[in-house]
Amino acid sequence: MLSLLIAHAVAALLAPTLVRAMGRKAFLALAVVPAVAAAWLVSQTSAVLRGDGPVEVVRWVPGLSMDLSFQLDTLSWFMALIVTAIGAVVLVYCASYFAASAAGLGRFSAVLVAFAGAMLGLVVADDMLLMFVFWELTTVFSYLLIGHYADRKASRRAAMQAIVITTGGGLAMLVGVIILGDAAGTYRLSELLADPPAGTAVTVAAVLLLVGAITKSALIPLHFWLPAAMAAPTPVSAYLHAAAMVKAGVYLVARFAPAFAELGPWRTTVVALGLGSLLVGGYRALRQNDLKLVLAFGTVSQLGFLVFLVGLGTQQAALAGLAMIGAHAMFKAALFLVVGIVDSATGTRDLRRLSGVGKALPVTAAAGILATASMIGLPPFAGYVAKEAALEAVLVSGETWVDTLVVVGVALGSALTVAYGLRFVWGAFATKSSVIPDPDAPEEDGEPRPAPVSRPALLLAWPALALAVGGLAVALVPHYGEQLLSPYAGTLPRGEAGHLTLWAGFTPAFFITVAVLAVGVGAFFARELVSRVQTRLHVPLEADSVYRRTMRRLDDLAADVTALVQRGSLPFYVGAILLAVVVLPGSVMVARTAWPAEVRLWDRPAQLAAAAIVVTSAILAARSRRRLKAVILLGVSGFGIAMFFLLHGAPDLALTQILVETVTLVVFVLVLRRIPPYFSDRPLAASRWVRLAVGVAAGLAVGGFALVAPAVRVHTPVSIDFPQEAYAYGGGKNIVNVALVDIRAWDTMGEISVLLVAATGVASLVFLSRRSGSLFRAEEADGGAAVWAGKEPASGVTRLQRAASVHARQASSAERYSRMRVWIRAGATLAPGRRSVIFEVVTRLLFHVMILYAVFLLFSGHNAPGGGFAAGLVVGIALMVRYLAGGRYELGEAAPVHPGLLLGTGLFLSAGVGLVSLLLTGNPLRSLLIDLQVPLLGEVHFVTSLFFDLGVFLVVVGLVLDILRSLGAEIDRQGELAGQDVGPGAATVHGGGS
Amino acid sequence: MTLEWLAPVPAILPLFGAGLALAMWRSKRAQLIISVVVLALVLAAALTLLLTVGDAPYVLDIGGWSAPVGINVVADRLAALMLTVSSAVTLCVLLYSMAQGLADGGEDTPVAIYHPTYLVLAAGVNMAFLAGDLFNLFVAFEVLLAASYVLITLGGTSARIRSGTIYIVVALVSSVIFLAAIALVYAATGTVNMAHVALRLPEIDPGVAQVLQLLLLLAFGIKAAMFPLHAWLPDSYPTAPAPVTAVFAGLLTKVGVYAIIRTQTLLFPGGTVDTLLLWLALATMIVGILGAVAQDDIKRLLSFTLVSHIGYMIFGIALSSQAGLTGSIFYVAHHITVQTTLFLVVGLVERRGGTTSLDRLGGLAKLAPGLAILFFIPAMNLSGIPPMSGFLGKVGLLQAGVADGTPLAWALVAGGVVTSLLTLYAIVKAWNKAFWQIPPAPLEGAPLPRGMVGPTTALVIFGLGLTVVAGPLYTYTEQAAANLRDRETYIVGVLPDGKRGTGESDEVVAEGGSS
Repeated sequence: MLSLLIAHAVAALLAPTLVRAMGRKAFLALAVVPAVAAAWLVSQTSAVLRGDGPVEVVRWVPGLSMDLSFQLDTLSWFMALIVTAIGAVVLVYCASYFAASAAGLGRFSAVLVAFAGAMLGLVVADDMLLMFVFWELTTVFSYLLIGHYADRKASRRAAMQAIVITTGGGLAMLVGVIILGDAAGTYRLSELLADPPAGTAVTVAAVLLLVGAITKSALIPLHFWLPAAMAAPTPVSAYLHAAAMVKAGVYLVARFAPAFAELGPWRTTVVALGLGSLLVGGYRALRQNDLKLVLAFGTVSQLGFLVFLVGLGTQQAALAGLAMIGAHAMFKAALFLVVGIVDSATGTRDLRRLSGVGKALPVTAAAGILATASMIGLPPFAGYVAKEAALEAVLVSGETWVDTLVVVGVALGSALTVAYGLRFVWGAFATKSSVIPDPDAPEEDGEPRPAPVSRPALLLAWPALALAVGGLAVALVPHYGEQLLSPYAGTLPRGEAGHLTLWAGFTPAFFITVAVLAVGVGAFFARELVSRVQTRLHVPLEADSVYRRTMRRLDDLAADVTALVQRGSLPFYVGAILLAVVVLPGSVMVARTAWPAEVRLWDRPAQLAAAAIVVTSAILAARSRRRLKAVILLGVSGFGIAMFFLLHGAPDLALTQILVETVTLVVFVLVLRRIPPYFSDRPLAASRWVRLAVGVAAGLAVGGFALVAPAVRVHTPVSIDFPQEAYAYGGGKNIVNVALVDIRAWDTMGEISVLLVAATGVASLVFLSRRSGSLFRAEEADGGAAVWAGKEPASGVTRLQRAASVHARQASSAERYSRMRVWIRAGATLAPGRRSVIFEVVTRLLFHVMILYAVFLLFSGHNAPGGGFAAGLVVGIALMVRYLAGGRYELGEAAPVHPGLLLGTGLFLSAGVGLVSLLLTGNPLRSLLIDLQVPLLGEVHFVTSLFFDLGVFLVVVGLVLDILRSLGAEIDRQGELAGQDVGPGAATVHGGGS
Repeated sequence: MTLEWLAPVPAILPLFGAGLALAMWRSKRAQLIISVVVLALVLAAALTLLLTVGDAPYVLDIGGWSAPVGINVVADRLAALMLTVSSAVTLCVLLYSMAQGLADGGEDTPVAIYHPTYLVLAAGVNMAFLAGDLFNLFVAFEVLLAASYVLITLGGTSARIRSGTIYIVVALVSSVIFLAAIALVYAATGTVNMAHVALRLPEIDPGVAQVLQLLLLLAFGIKAAMFPLHAWLPDSYPTAPAPVTAVFAGLLTKVGVYAIIRTQTLLFPGGTVDTLLLWLALATMIVGILGAVAQDDIKRLLSFTLVSHIGYMIFGIALSSQAGLTGSIFYVAHHITVQTTLFLVVGLVERRGGTTSLDRLGGLAKLAPGLAILFFIPAMNLSGIPPMSGFLGKVGLLQAGVADGTPLAWALVAGGVVTSLLTLYAIVKAWNKAFWQIPPAPLEGAPLPRGMVGPTTALVIFGLGLTVVAGPLYTYTEQAAANLRDRETYIVGVLPDGKRGTGESDEVVAEGGSS
């Protein structure tokens, strides 16, 4: 069976290629696959009859108890035979149904064959989860098939409706399956049915399974997707919506009826919805004018009947149900194919427009009439045999009023079937006295003429005729059918063995049949009256519109909820997060933790001062309206933190913190040049109070955490081992440095990559695509001294510059400066008014000292405060000084190197040290202690982690350089360019927010 | 020779490559070669770890520094699986983005920094999966976040800066919470090594332990985009370039989920916050998917399904059962693949159709049938259509929920299938519009470069491959879940004697002391 499924899959994959090569004839080739499957099934008949049909199991996902297991018992065999045989017939029909030039045939054929495979898998699967897999696949393929004419809105809508409803039911069924699997401890159908579990959960599961069946088999109240699905090409309607897919629900009910038919909710649901569908479908079929819709509602009606029969739980009903499944598959598929022929011959399916079709297309009409005869239950057709058996089955237990009601319902449903069946034949083939005009044609005078009938290929009619004649043929050997199907019926819990026969004598069933036919024929002849009554009784409540309204509600709800949650407001999002912090851990803190018995407020009073500085400046920063003020206050707060570190005896951290704060401050000031000086939108007063409350609450919560957490510590902190190991294993006396470059070098490696990325990120935003921005060497400066020439510098550095060079401005003469001593190399590129001799001299004196100091920090770091990070920052500050003193060309002269190179080399070096060590010792970042005798210097003692530190150093220098180049130099340049456009006064400042 | 030495490779190699690529910023070609070679090697390393790791994880004390003084990397089954899936995805996305960059002529993407940043992102993600130390996990988050800040604002258009601002600020807030939580963990237990914390937490006050648990949960919950901490995601992801959104959607939220799995199972077993988590999972699913239903931009729609399906993973975690955890882990692997694939496909849709607005797209099934297939398969996979991996993960979670049997678990089962249905609804709506309807105006799109279609196809096939290997893969995730729930193998692997790790730094001290 697995190989048959694989054959379908392969055929589906090859189908587009085949169609490209052979055109529509490819359908004939594809039909071979289901035909072979059908032939194989026929060959298994005797084995199945004996009860030892083939079984296949291939393990798939044992963790989910999901296996590729298949079993062929009577029910599977019967369903599979229908699915494959009709699949083959429909594919043959397709070969002449579609125009040779029709578009999208490759996709269509592939999906149709794939569907046939999925359908086959569905009925032969023995694993419930596997069955669900195929179940959903049929849904998805049917979605694609219904939407075949995708540019028609009705097709798209119908496809979506079908997939949403059937998947909804399918998911309910999935939950049911899982509950059953959980309760039974197995997902094998054969094992589950052999020993069905029981309990409330199982009852729920059974009902959930029924929900799946109801949606798939289009029972009321979810039947409306099926008529809408008639938007699909007719072969699809014939196959999916008559013979195969909609039968999946019936199959499901038949499959589980032996186990669950005794459950009250099951019986109620099956009887109520089955008979309800029978009646509603039949009633509505009478009102349709589109031939396909007549059949569609007829199918709803028949499906209801089928579910009712197989779900009822008696052996007679089950046998009748199976016979009915076979009969229905044949006559309904045939009728759809007939409608397809009529449609393609006349261009319409409106029975009010058709006349004389029967005369023009006798073979087609013959097929249609034979199939209808079976549908309305005329002897000697399969439909008659099945319906007689069904009547016998419901007549058996005529004890309660419900049973009587059931009999009446079945009879009434059958009568409706007769009526709409006759109306169908009449509408499709009769020669009528009058027709309605063609709605699409221009207005004509005189009598409207019926749709003209063209003559389609005869090949088109044969599949339909074959199916219709098949309905006659099988009815002639009813005992054989009984023999084949009764093994399944025997598994039902109640009733006695039923019988299939053409003539059972003058039983009550016979008289009911006569009555049914009489009423049906009467209703057909009184169709004008019936139609008027139906119009009068028209109920505005239609399931379809309920569905539409529900979906619109759903869309509205979705929009409302999303608008509520998704405010697009950053303060709202951050506020939500902070509130979560306050509410969740905060409430646990209040409820479940104890306040520490003793709280020491400070070690020494100086800490209080530092805290006061930090807190005050933070609050003021939050309150300030000026950006510059906020930035400076932020810096103050940072310096306060540095004080804390110092007071705690951590000079290393304090040094680093101060350097970081300095760099940050300068960067901020550089950025602020291009941003308006004031925070623009101040929140409303009310919102300010809310923000304040959230902020205070969050602060209190975190403060509380910080109080309770240390108080519960009972263990020795791991830092106790740091000093000894740092010295013995890391070879350094400065624990902080050893921790950074050795103990936790793995972290440091990550952090320097953060620096690298931050630097490149800033640069990428400023330079955008021109990452390779030039180096601003002094010789490239175009003659005139123009850097920072703007007249109205607004803030930040430019103002600083102005203050520093106030005396220079008074004597602004370019010649005079050119004769000055050169203190810094690119000083001449600066606008004369922006130069400051004092600053230049100081720079000249400081720069090299700072570089030397940095080198000292770098090398001494292992044993004294310092290290690569601090050293890098010092170099960075030295570069800043150069830039501030001499502008971007001075920066270029000071560091004539691309920052990317520094950053890249730094990370390359640090990670490279790790990699080399990994290759040599099998452990990354392992450092070695090396003692060397060097002439002059004596004994040099160093650790290979120095190279790592060197990498850190390079990255930090690269970072500062990159920031200076992008936020300083490049913004200067862009500002000057902009200034040239709008005049000198507007240069460098007052740019919009970037 | 054992393979511990392989464990740090997925983190250190991309960093090395990033440095090299940045230093060679002049040559795009060299950068490309470096990136591809590095990521391919990482994939090979991850695959080796995946195939060889047993119940005992690979543990390596970095630099010989014995844990908990030093940092250790731990590659257990879960980490190896995450590494493998994420490496495969990052490699495909890199190739895709290169083709996109080439096709666009490299004008609007600064390629020179793209490679290093992308490699750093990969390093950060891998470092997070390998972290055996809470602070190192924080560093890993910083690494990947810093890289993501750069990538999300790539090109610097005003829309990207705006959404980037939301993204960055929220991420910083979560980092602050995470950092505060680590400080508090150290304050309470005196260690940040996870195995060590796991040993010590049961011995401290349970109230404080729960405070720590919730703080960590919140910090990771923001990253994982769990309700009510999720709203930033759909506002920030969709504006980034398609490959960036793809890799973010696939990986970054899953790093958050991974961190939740790791910390909840290792540090806080016993499920004391399960009820809360279940409610959050339910809300995440429903609120997320309603958001998706309300969208008419396909990128935003996918961002909301991303949020919604995080709920599935939280659901499995919150069940605190073997089956639930297994389902979650499987779902994570599935979701990384499918969500990344879909965003890449949407990149193709945007290219072919000139827009991602569903109201303006149309007719793509006819115009680009291949693209239609590339979209349809992962889209159905996301919707949980069998037999694809999304379905398998969902079945695992539903089985776990049904087995749990509490009313809340039943509610989650119901919520799960409703979410699944609504996902399908949203996806089908998108398909109906983008691929079937007649476009309101002719589409102004460019043809699809082979270099972009190739990696996308590879990922689609990879996603289908998860179904093919579902049997062994599911068994693997079961074992991974068992290891997580057992905890013992992890803790003993890191601290064999319950005190110090396998590094030799303490032994050197001991020798020094005796001599």
